[in-house]
Amino acid sequence: MKPTADVHGEATTLDKRVTSLDDAILAMAETREFGKHTKLRRLLEALRRVLLQPGGAAAVQARARALEEAGLFLGTDWASPEILIPSLVGAGLHSGDADTVVMEAASELRMLAIARGDFTHPTFPAEDARQFLSQVLAKNVELLFTTPGEAERVQRGRTARLVRELFRHLAEEIGYDSVLDDLVDEIWRILRQRPIQVEAAQSLITRIAVYRDDPEIALGASSGQGIDRLITSLFGTTEACREDPGIDVFRSRLEAMDTGGLQYEATGFARAMHDTGLVSPYHAELLRYLLRESDYLLAEALGLSDTGRNCLLRYSQLVHRLIEVAIHPQTAQSVYGLALLLDRGILYEPPVVPSLWRQLALELSPVARERLTTVFGAEPGPQARLVAGVLSMLGQPLGVGQGDNPTCQSARALSMWSYNDPDYLLQMVVWAARDDEVRMHFEGLPISSKDSGAGVASTLPMDLDPVSLLVVPHLDRIYAEMGRRCATRPGDPHRWVNPEFHGWWAAREFHINVDVATGNLVDLDEFLRQFHASYHPFYNGEQPLIHPQPAGVAVTDSAARYVGWHAISILRVAPDPQDVMRVYFFNPNNDSGQDWGDGVVVSTAGNGERFGEASLPFDQFASRLYIFHTDPLERGEPERVPAEDVARIIGYIERSWGDDRLPGGTLQAHEGPTAPEA
Amino acid sequence: MPQREPTIRNPDKGYVALLGWSLNAVEALDRFDRRYVVVAPEWAEEYCVEHDIPYVPWNFERLNDRSMEIAETLQSEGVDVAIPLFEETVEWAGAINSVLLDNPRLYGQAMLLRDKALMKRRAQLGGIRVGIFEEAHDRDDVTRFLKRVNQTLLKLDGDPNDPIHLKAFDKAGCLGHRVIRTPDEVDTIPDEEFPILMESHLDGWEFAVEAWVHNGKIKFLNISEYVTLGYSVFVPATPELERYRPQITAQIEKLIKTFDIEFGFVHPEYFVTSDGEMYFGEVAYRPPGFKVFELLERAYGFNAYHALVLAFDPKTTEEEIDAFFPREVVDASGVAGCFGVYPRRRVVSELEIPEETEDDDYYESHDLSTPLEETVTKRTAFGTHWGLVYFFGEDPYRMRDLLKKQEELDFYV
Repeated sequence: MKPTADVHGEATTLDKRVTSLDDAILAMAETREFGKHTKLRRLLEALRRVLLQPGGAAAVQARARALEEAGLFLGTDWASPEILIPSLVGAGLHSGDADTVVMEAASELRMLAIARGDFTHPTFPAEDARQFLSQVLAKNVELLFTTPGEAERVQRGRTARLVRELFRHLAEEIGYDSVLDDLVDEIWRILRQRPIQVEAAQSLITRIAVYRDDPEIALGASSGQGIDRLITSLFGTTEACREDPGIDVFRSRLEAMDTGGLQYEATGFARAMHDTGLVSPYHAELLRYLLRESDYLLAEALGLSDTGRNCLLRYSQLVHRLIEVAIHPQTAQSVYGLALLLDRGILYEPPVVPSLWRQLALELSPVARERLTTVFGAEPGPQARLVAGVLSMLGQPLGVGQGDNPTCQSARALSMWSYNDPDYLLQMVVWAARDDEVRMHFEGLPISSKDSGAGVASTLPMDLDPVSLLVVPHLDRIYAEMGRRCATRPGDPHRWVNPEFHGWWAAREFHINVDVATGNLVDLDEFLRQFHASYHPFYNGEQPLIHPQPAGVAVTDSAARYVGWHAISILRVAPDPQDVMRVYFFNPNNDSGQDWGDGVVVSTAGNGERFGEASLPFDQFASRLYIFHTDPLERGEPERVPAEDVARIIGYIERSWGDDRLPGGTLQAHEGPTAPEA
Repeated sequence: MPQREPTIRNPDKGYVALLGWSLNAVEALDRFDRRYVVVAPEWAEEYCVEHDIPYVPWNFERLNDRSMEIAETLQSEGVDVAIPLFEETVEWAGAINSVLLDNPRLYGQAMLLRDKALMKRRAQLGGIRVGIFEEAHDRDDVTRFLKRVNQTLLKLDGDPNDPIHLKAFDKAGCLGHRVIRTPDEVDTIPDEEFPILMESHLDGWEFAVEAWVHNGKIKFLNISEYVTLGYSVFVPATPELERYRPQITAQIEKLIKTFDIEFGFVHPEYFVTSDGEMYFGEVAYRPPGFKVFELLERAYGFNAYHALVLAFDPKTTEEEIDAFFPREVVDASGVAGCFGVYPRRRVVSELEIPEETEDDDYYESHDLSTPLEETVTKRTAFGTHWGLVYFFGEDPYRMRDLLKKQEELDFYV
């Protein structure tokens, strides 16, 4: 039988479906709370069918109040718009479950009705709704610019189309201009954390550049403040590549330049790179060209500090070789790593220079070659990719991210070693890349990654930087094996695993405020006093933290509900520019700026953070902490911590993850394993 | 969240007890003007307490010495009448109502309505046409019956047999319903299904009726048309079937007289043969399966559970119930139908509504469950479907074709 959908024309189809939707809304509205779920199925189907039609989004928007009052959102997170998070909307809309997509879409259209003033919501003001939607659009801007990819289309079929119809409607109502502003802000916010992996930001910027040049889209004059800087840091950074002419033309222009011209090019690229954390492919080509010129120009092009310049001049041969091997237009981003590596002065640590020479000559195992080629392509070769990856990781220890994988411990370890013990990291890379095996010892007994069973991650991670790509699978298995060896011991395994896994500097005394058997909070007062005495300068004799220390936090969502245990490292404790004592820490999560609820909002810039650091005021940080390490010989002065400080922190705990201290809970965007942290 | 105003209960109207747990029924009564109480097993208690639903715990096992207890409990509560929601609670309603309404015959009536063999005999005695039927205690009885039925039909050896139908005495609808064509198939009947009712196959058009009865009179009579038994049903029926309405009404009047039904709700099944003759299949004194109540609400806009309460409540007045019901067929805003889905493949991994179905104007919703296991259990009897797909539209003929068409589609792939 032929569907009659088109017989009456589209307007009629929509009208019919809308009538059916109204009936379904009414049926749910007249049902008391306990029976509403019996009416849900019909309402969701009706919604989905309306949303699939052109004009459907507007029809649903017009019914936002009726939908909410009927109880569509009852018993779900969507019932309280004030706790919704723009960054989680994408996951909802990309869900394989059509119902989740429909609920999420209905929630966005309700936001739109609130933002437009059609629906005065009791708990959510119009301005917040507008801002929420701007952020949703900004974070999912690809839904505005692109058609569904093959995989998305096959997996979700028409639901993918529904989502795009929704976004077109949202953007038309909210306006593209404001989206662009927020989008640009968002890109800047991410880049200010100086991640090693910038592919996502690059592709967004590229898309905006294309979008902005589309004559059919009229942008307001003030739109996208700061977008120019982002676009030019990738394309047309300097005079010689202004109109994005391609590498060959650029090269021939360089060849025709005198020193003054080259100097101008070099400083232009260096400024853009240090400003945004992004590197243009032309910049890589310039460096390769400058190898034939002078180290002075090379230092200019890298934008080096005095320390960096010194390192370059002292180890000129090594730096030249690193550039020759690793820096290509395809690996341009590692120029930034190289510059920061030189600025960090780590070449003056005796083992680092010979380790890098070893890295340059390293023969990779077939497994490593294949993995690198699969993920990054054949050009440049896997060895060059790996060296480029090493430069990035050594230059940006706090730019390491775990990708979309539950391997926060391994990412944290890599970051710590790069920060603290670079030659050990280089050794680790050699074992993983050359031998396809990493060995560590646990309480005197060897553990090989080859003999160990499964790690925390069930599949091989692919969305990582070159070093993590090769090393993380080994670390993950070893970490899991260490955990298994502690399985029979009472209490939390991180007491033993953390120091053995990370290194001698992970302090040996272990504090935890959760009873592993029951999941209940224990010894809170002593736990918090000891944390002050070990880390807070007022109570530890003003001793700055020497080595980064592994710690565990209970991550909470924006409604302060427990989400999961997560591994971070504490980097330093210091007063911020406003004289608030803050804990600065590294979060292996790809975006550290997170809202943990109850006013606890992790900051990544503007409160004295260095690139890649996250920070919280000391007491707020303490309120999410559940594991830390200390030196048993350094007691500090726990008794001097004022009782009201402890009480205030306990208040934060009680209002969030301590509220109902039972383990479990659902996983938010890959915070880490739900099994006990690290 | 603004909530619906609490329902005002009318103290001059009856106080009803629902026997058995049905969320749809409870939800409907919760917004009706009668006082009500749910009588259900203990597992329902937590839910009722949490949601403030009036509740009395009771385990509906076989009637026993303690049966009087629930009747007395309800009586002291002030309950006027008990309404059975499931086949298993029909005899309980009879027993309880014989106390509440001081009418001992109600219990005997309920037993008639519970036992398919007794029911057929009573119908026969009342002059209602039934097919050939017999009780079977073992497989030999079945073989004998199959042979005899086919001899009666003047079949020769080698002719394909007319099938016979086997049904459990006291189960609702399609549960335990088997069709047997050859003596070989007799061996597939498990021991525990005996004793069993056997019926000859009637080559007719099967349909069901839902009739609400008040003071011995039919107040609303719906004809539900089956497209394929066990698969699909829609209301109101096509004009082709509705043209038999006068005869059908006469049959139902005969039925309620024969079974001495003064109030409540009956759900009988009939066959109409090509010469217009009606054959009685069976009758149930409880709401039908296959969500026919929901279909009626979709088509007519009245809540069939509310109607059920009106028909049972001794305090309902004639005017009240007459005003409640719309006129049959003409007052329906459209035709509502549903299709029961069974997986067609042996191995399935996911639920996928066919685009053809989803794009149809008539399609509204479904309550299909996602598959939990990949291998589909082989159906022997008319098993349980995996959920229903709902349709609504204007044309009953198009509805019938549409429902028929669904039988060829895969909802599980």
